[in-house]
Amino acid sequence: MARHLELLAPCRTLYVLCAGSGIYCFALDTPGRSASQADDGSSKGDSQCPNQAAECHSQVDEDPCETEEGHVESGEPPFDVVSVGPDACVLPDPSLCAFTLLGDLLVTVSQGPGTWKVRLFKHLCPGPGTEPGAQVGEVVVPAEPPQAPSFLPVLCCVSPPCSRDPHGCLPGPEGSILQEALFGLLFGADAALLESPVVLCGFPDGQLCFVVLKTLVTSQTAPGDPKVLVKVLHHLEEPIVFIGALRKGPQPQEGEDTPADCLVALGHHGRTLAIKAGRDEAETLVPEMQVYRLPGPVLCATCNRGSLVYYSTPSRLHVLNLSSGESMHPGLPPLLCQNSVRVCKIVALSSPRDPEDSTKLLALSAGGRLMTCHVALEPARMTARQATSKIQNLLSDISSVSERVHSLKKAIEQQNQALTHLHQALDLSCALLSCQSSPKPIVCTTRPFWRAQGLHQELVATCRLENGGPCSLGPGWSWCIQVLPSSHDGATTYTVPVQQLAPGACFEVTLALCSGEDEGSIPDLPVTVSHMLFYSLQEVVGVLLAPVDTEEDPLGVAWPQDLLPPQDGACLPLGLHTVDLLQGLRFSSLATPCLPPTSPIDIFLANCQEQGSRPGGRAALQAPSMVSIRVSSELLRATLGDRATGGSLCCSTLQWLLTENTALDIVRAGALSSVQGVAPDGTSVRLTAQEVLVVDLGSEDPIPAVEIQVESPSLATVCQAHHAMITRIQTIVTEQATPGASLPNLRVQRLRQIQANHEALLWEVQALQDKLALQSSADTQATATEQLLQLYRRLRNPSLTLL
Amino acid sequence: MGGLARLTPLLAAEEDPQPGAVASMSPPGPAPALATLSPSLVDSPPPPASYLDPWRKKNDQLVRQMKVTQDSGLFLRQQLSAQDALRRFRELLHILQALPAAVSALPLELTVTCNFITLKANQTQGFTEDQAQDIQQGLERVLEAQEQQGPRLNCGIRELWNTVLQAASLLPELLPALHHLAGLQAALWLSTGRLEDLSLLLQMLNGSQNVASEDLLLLLKSWSPPSKELDAPLTLQDACGLRDVLLTASALRQGLQELITENFPRALISLQAAASGLCSRPVLAQVYTALGSCLRKMGNPQRALLYLVAALQVASVWGPPLLEASRLYRELGDTAAELESLELLAKGLSVAQSSKAPQVLIEVELLLPQPDPASPLYCGTQSHAKHLLASRCLQTGRAEDAAEHYLDMLALLQDGPEPRFSPPAGPPGSCVTELFLETAAALIQANRAQDALTVCEELLRRTSFLLPKMPWMWEDTRNGAKELMNCPLWVSAVYFLQGQAWVKLGASKEAVSEFSRCLELLFRAPPENKDEGIASNCEPRCRPDVALQHLRLAALVSRGLEWVTSGQHTKALQDFLLSVQMCPGHQDASIHLLQTLRRLGRKNEATALWWRLEAQMKLPPEAATGSLPLYLETCLSWIRPADQESLLEEIRTSLQEPSDLELPGFL
Repeated sequence: MARHLELLAPCRTLYVLCAGSGIYCFALDTPGRSASQADDGSSKGDSQCPNQAAECHSQVDEDPCETEEGHVESGEPPFDVVSVGPDACVLPDPSLCAFTLLGDLLVTVSQGPGTWKVRLFKHLCPGPGTEPGAQVGEVVVPAEPPQAPSFLPVLCCVSPPCSRDPHGCLPGPEGSILQEALFGLLFGADAALLESPVVLCGFPDGQLCFVVLKTLVTSQTAPGDPKVLVKVLHHLEEPIVFIGALRKGPQPQEGEDTPADCLVALGHHGRTLAIKAGRDEAETLVPEMQVYRLPGPVLCATCNRGSLVYYSTPSRLHVLNLSSGESMHPGLPPLLCQNSVRVCKIVALSSPRDPEDSTKLLALSAGGRLMTCHVALEPARMTARQATSKIQNLLSDISSVSERVHSLKKAIEQQNQALTHLHQALDLSCALLSCQSSPKPIVCTTRPFWRAQGLHQELVATCRLENGGPCSLGPGWSWCIQVLPSSHDGATTYTVPVQQLAPGACFEVTLALCSGEDEGSIPDLPVTVSHMLFYSLQEVVGVLLAPVDTEEDPLGVAWPQDLLPPQDGACLPLGLHTVDLLQGLRFSSLATPCLPPTSPIDIFLANCQEQGSRPGGRAALQAPSMVSIRVSSELLRATLGDRATGGSLCCSTLQWLLTENTALDIVRAGALSSVQGVAPDGTSVRLTAQEVLVVDLGSEDPIPAVEIQVESPSLATVCQAHHAMITRIQTIVTEQATPGASLPNLRVQRLRQIQANHEALLWEVQALQDKLALQSSADTQATATEQLLQLYRRLRNPSLTLL
Repeated sequence: MGGLARLTPLLAAEEDPQPGAVASMSPPGPAPALATLSPSLVDSPPPPASYLDPWRKKNDQLVRQMKVTQDSGLFLRQQLSAQDALRRFRELLHILQALPAAVSALPLELTVTCNFITLKANQTQGFTEDQAQDIQQGLERVLEAQEQQGPRLNCGIRELWNTVLQAASLLPELLPALHHLAGLQAALWLSTGRLEDLSLLLQMLNGSQNVASEDLLLLLKSWSPPSKELDAPLTLQDACGLRDVLLTASALRQGLQELITENFPRALISLQAAASGLCSRPVLAQVYTALGSCLRKMGNPQRALLYLVAALQVASVWGPPLLEASRLYRELGDTAAELESLELLAKGLSVAQSSKAPQVLIEVELLLPQPDPASPLYCGTQSHAKHLLASRCLQTGRAEDAAEHYLDMLALLQDGPEPRFSPPAGPPGSCVTELFLETAAALIQANRAQDALTVCEELLRRTSFLLPKMPWMWEDTRNGAKELMNCPLWVSAVYFLQGQAWVKLGASKEAVSEFSRCLELLFRAPPENKDEGIASNCEPRCRPDVALQHLRLAALVSRGLEWVTSGQHTKALQDFLLSVQMCPGHQDASIHLLQTLRRLGRKNEATALWWRLEAQMKLPPEAATGSLPLYLETCLSWIRPADQESLLEEIRTSLQEPSDLELPGFL
C-alpha cells in the first residue's frame, strides 16, 4: 500500500513510501512512458502534481461520487504499469510513516514506541548494491500517549525567500516559500540567519513542531537534543491532517512569485489554525493566530497559491477563502467564507501550482477515481427548472441510496445472525459431545403409552426435547428420532425441525412405535428409539452463500460455489431409549375399577376393542407358558431403596418393573403383588411376585429372594416379558456389583452344577442351530424348532437366581 | 593525520601501559558467528523426526541466511533481508505460540524468541518496550507449559523470572534457551539502566541469592550459561557471546558513570576491565579515550596521552580522542598542539559518516546510552569543532587565524541547503547571532575592519524584518505609554561592533554615531529581558542583565575614547563618569576617567578617584566576567588601557610629590 509519493521534478524521479516496507525510488523517464505522457498533454500541470502522475495504475470503478455545482471530468488515465522491484528500495524501514523531499535531501518521520523519529538523509539514489545515502541527522520527538493509530504525521517544508539565488532554493512540490517576517517570527533568528529550510511536522497527537533543517546535524558522538532541535509551535489537540502555506495578502500577479504569508494547519475534527505575521500599534512584529472550527471530519486538504484552502469531508468537498475580502484589512478574517460541492470521499487532493488554474483541482476518490474538479467559491445560480430536476434527481438518489443501505444492512444482519447461530451451535456441540458428567444442556425423554386410534389402540411414544442450556435452539436445528424395532428391519426416522426452543422450554412429539404401515399392527417389541440433533449448515449459512450477482454482492465477497455441500451439517447423538414389553403392557382389568367408562358408547367401544384384539385362539388353546426369575431380596432392597420401605417387597418389585408404564399409579394404588395385563398382541400376561426362600444355594441359611413369574398363553409374550425383566435386573446387578459387598455363603458345589447344566444346554442349542442351518426341509425344521422350544423351557426352569 | 606524527614520539618515550590491550581485541564481526554455525554444518545422524522439525528447519535456515547476507557487504540488500528475516521470525514465533505450550517445544520457541529479539533490537538500534513484552511472553509460556498460570501473570517481571528459573531447574533441557533469554533481558535492563533488576537477575542465574554481591561485573563474570547441545536450533548469537558483550558494556558504562561522578580511581578500574574484555575496535577506541580522560583528570597527562594515541591507532574514530587531546594540551599549556588537535578534529569530522551496516549481533554500542555533553565520548559535530577552534584562536590571541576560521565557518553555514550547523546542547538560545558577533569581533581584532562591517551589515540585513520598525520614538517612552523597547541585546552589540570597526578605520564620526545608537538601544532596554518574544529568543549564556551592563560600559568607554581622540574631553568625561557610575568596581573605566580628569586638570577628583582605585585593587578581582559571551570579552579587551601600569605609576608619583605637602593639610 503506497502511503505517500512525491516527485522530484528536476530529475523526474518518483519517490514512493510503501507501508511496512520503506521508500522506493525510480525514474519516470522510461521510453514507453514518455510517449504516453506526451499524449496525456501538458495541460495537467506537467509533472508538478504528484498525485496525477501516470505511474499509479489508476483503477476506475463505478464510484458513487457525483457532482453538483462542480464539474468533474474523469480523465482517461494512461494505463502504464511499471513494476518496481526491491532494487528500487532506497530506504528500507518498516516503521517509516512520512517523508518529504527537498532537493536531494530527504526528511523522514518514523514511528517508534512512544516516539517519532525525524531523520534527514542526503543523496539517496536507487540501485542495487549502492552505498546508502548518508544520514545527516536524526532527532527523536516524544509523542503524547494517546496515539491515534490510523493517522500519520504530515510534513510541510517551508523556506525563507533566498536572497542570493531566488530560484535556487525552491523547495519540493509540497514546500513553499514563506514571507521572511513570518518565517523569522515563527522559527527564530537562527533559522533566518542560516536561511535554512524548515520542516513543519504535524503529528497525530496534535503537536505542530518544526525542525530547522540546517541545524539537524547529529552523529553518534553528538546525538541530537530534541529540546534544541525541535520546537513546538502549537498544539492543535486533534490529529493534524494538513499543513500548508498560502498567500493571504494581495494576490500575485501573473508570472510573479510571491512568498506565502500565512500558515494553516487543519485538524481532523475541523480545528484549523492560521498564523500570520502582524504588527501591533507600536509596529512590533507579533504573530497573529486564529483558530477556526470547520465541519469535520477532514479527510485531506490542499491549498493553492492564492488564499484558498480545499478540504474534503466524507460527504463534500469544501473550499475556504482565508482572504478577508477587504484588501484594507490586513489581519485574518474572524469568519471564513466557504462553499462546498457534493463530491464525496475524496482521499487525496492536489492543486496545481499554476495560478491561472487556481480553481482546478485534482482529486482522488476512495474508490480510486481520479478527477479534475472546478470548485467555485461562489455558489452557481440556477433556474427554477434546473432546480426542479435537480431536486428530483436528488430524491431518486436518496431512495436508491436508502435501498442500498437497507439491503446492505439486511445482509450484515443476516451474517451476524448466522455467526451467532454458528457460535451457539458450536457451544452446544461441545457441551453435548464432551465426556464430562455435567448435566447435558439438551435432554430427551421417551414415554410410551397406548392411544386409541379409531377402533384400534396403538402403542405410541411421546418424545420430549427439553432445552436446559443457556441459549435457545433456533432454525437450522432439527430433531431426528429413529424408531428401530427388535427385528432390525424397517427402521423409521422422523425428522422434526426445531423452529425455536427457548432455554427452559420443551417440545413434544408423539409417534407410533408400530413399524407397519397398516393400522393396528403390533409393535415389534423391544423397540429402540434413538434421538439425535442435526444442525444443517445449509439452512443457516446457505442464504449467505447463495450465488449472488457480483455487482450486487453487498459485502463484495465472492463465495466459491462448492463451498458447502447441501447435506452438510453436524449430527449430535442425544441418547437411546428402549421400549419393551413391560412398558407396553395394558391393564384393562385394572383400569376398569378406577376409570369406569362413563358413556355407553365407550363401553361398547371397549368391548369391541377387546373382541377385536382377541387372538385367533391358537395361543388360548395352548397351555400357558410360564417362566420365573428369582432375585435375592437383598439386591432388590438395595436397588429400590426408599421405595421398598413402604409396602411389601413384592409390591415394590412389581411397581419397579412397571415404572415406565402408564398404569404404574394403579398398581401402586392397589399395592398389588400380582397383575394381569394385556400384551400388545392381545394375549394376556400375568406378572406375579412372591417371596421365596432359596435353600439349595446357601450353605447355611436359606437366601430370601423374590420370585417373579411371567405367565402367558403366548410364548412370544413370555419371551418378551422375560427379556424385558432380565434387561432391567441386569442393569441393577451391574450397578450394585460393588467389589466390597459381602456375598452370602454359597454352596459352590451347587453353583458349579448349575453352571455345568446351563453350559450343556447351551451346547445343545448351538448344535441344533447348526443343524437348522444345514438342513432346510420343513420336517426337520419343525422338529428342530420343537427341540429349541424345549431347550428354552429347560433353560428357564429351574429359574435363574440373581443374588 | 599529521597529529599522529607529533604524538608518536611520546609513545616511544614511555613504556606501553597496556601492552596486551590491542592484542586482546576480538576479531571484528563474524568470527563468533562462524563458530556457532559450524556444528550444524557437520552432518550428524538425523535425529528422530518430530512435529517441530519443519519449524526448526525454518529457524536454522533463517539464521544461516542472515549470516550469509551479513558477509555480502551490500548494505541495502542486507537491510532488506534483515527486514524480511524479521518478518519471517515473527511469523514463526506466532505459529509456535499458537501451539499449546509444551516443554518439548519450548526450547525451539524460546530460541526463535531470542533470535527475533536480537534481530529486532538491531533493527531498531536499541531495546524498546516491545522486546520487554516478547521476553515476558516467553516466560509466561514456560509457566503455561508447567500449568502454573494464574495469579503470577500480573506480578512484576522480576518475580516472573524468579518463578521461571525455579521451575526450570527441574527441566534441564530448557536451561540453555532460558539463559539466552535471560542474557537478552540483561541487555535490555543494562541499556535502560535498570541495574538493580539486572544484578538480581544475575544472582538468580548464578543460583546465589544468599550472596549479596552487588558488583555487577563480578556477577557477570561468574555467570556461565549452560552450553548448548549440538543439535539445538541455531541462534544468531549464543548466550556466551552475549555474556561477553554484556561484560564489556557494563564495565564501560560503569566507568563512564564514575568518571562523571568524579570517582576517578574506581572509574579507572572499571575502564581497564572494559579494555581487557572482548570488544570491537571502535569500542576499544572509546574505552581508551575514556581512560585518557580519566587519567587527565587524575593528573597523569603523559599516561593519558599514551591512551589517546592508542585510541587513535585502534580505530578510525577520530572525534573523541582528538577532542580529549586538545583538552589535555590546553591543560598542559601547549597551545600550538591544542590548536593542531582541534584542526585535525574539524577535518576528521567533515568526513561524512556512512550509515552503519545492520548488525545481526547485539554489540556493545547498542547497550551504551547516548553520550551527553559531559561524557568524554561526546565530541560534537564539525561545526562544534570549527567553532571551538576559532574561539580558542581568538582567546589565545591568534586573531588572524581566528578570523579565518570564523569566516570559513560562516561560509560553510550559508553554503547550499545542506545542514552544516548543529546548535550546542544546553539552554536554547540564538547561537548563530553570537557566531556572527564573534566573527565580527575576530575580524576587528585582526584589523580587518572592513570585513567586520560587512558581516555586521549582513547580520542586520537578514534580521531587519524582525526588528521594531521605529524604535527611536522618544516621545512614546517619555509618555510612559508602553515599554516598546524590546530589542535583543545582540542588535546593540552589532552597533557597538560597527562602531569599533569604524574606530579601526579611523572614521571617528561614524564610530561615535554607532556607539550612540548602541547606547540608545541599551539604555531603553528593560532592566530584565524577561519576555523577548518568539522573534528574539536569544539570550546569551550568561545572565542577560550582566551582559547588558558590560556592553553599556564598553560602549560608553569606547565613545569616551573617541571623544578623547577628537579632543572633546568634556564629552569624554561625561561618558567615563557614567560608565564608572554604572560599574563602580570596573578598573578600566576608572582608569580612563582618571586619565581624563588628569587631562582636564581636575586634580582633586583625580586624587580621590585614585585612592578609591588603590583601595579597590587590593581587593580580590571580581570573577563575574568569566561567564560573559566571547564577543563581549573581546570587546571588553579593547577598552583596556594599553599602558595601565605605567599610567598608574605615573599618577602615583605625580600625586605623591605634592601629597607630601598636601597630605598633612588633609589631615
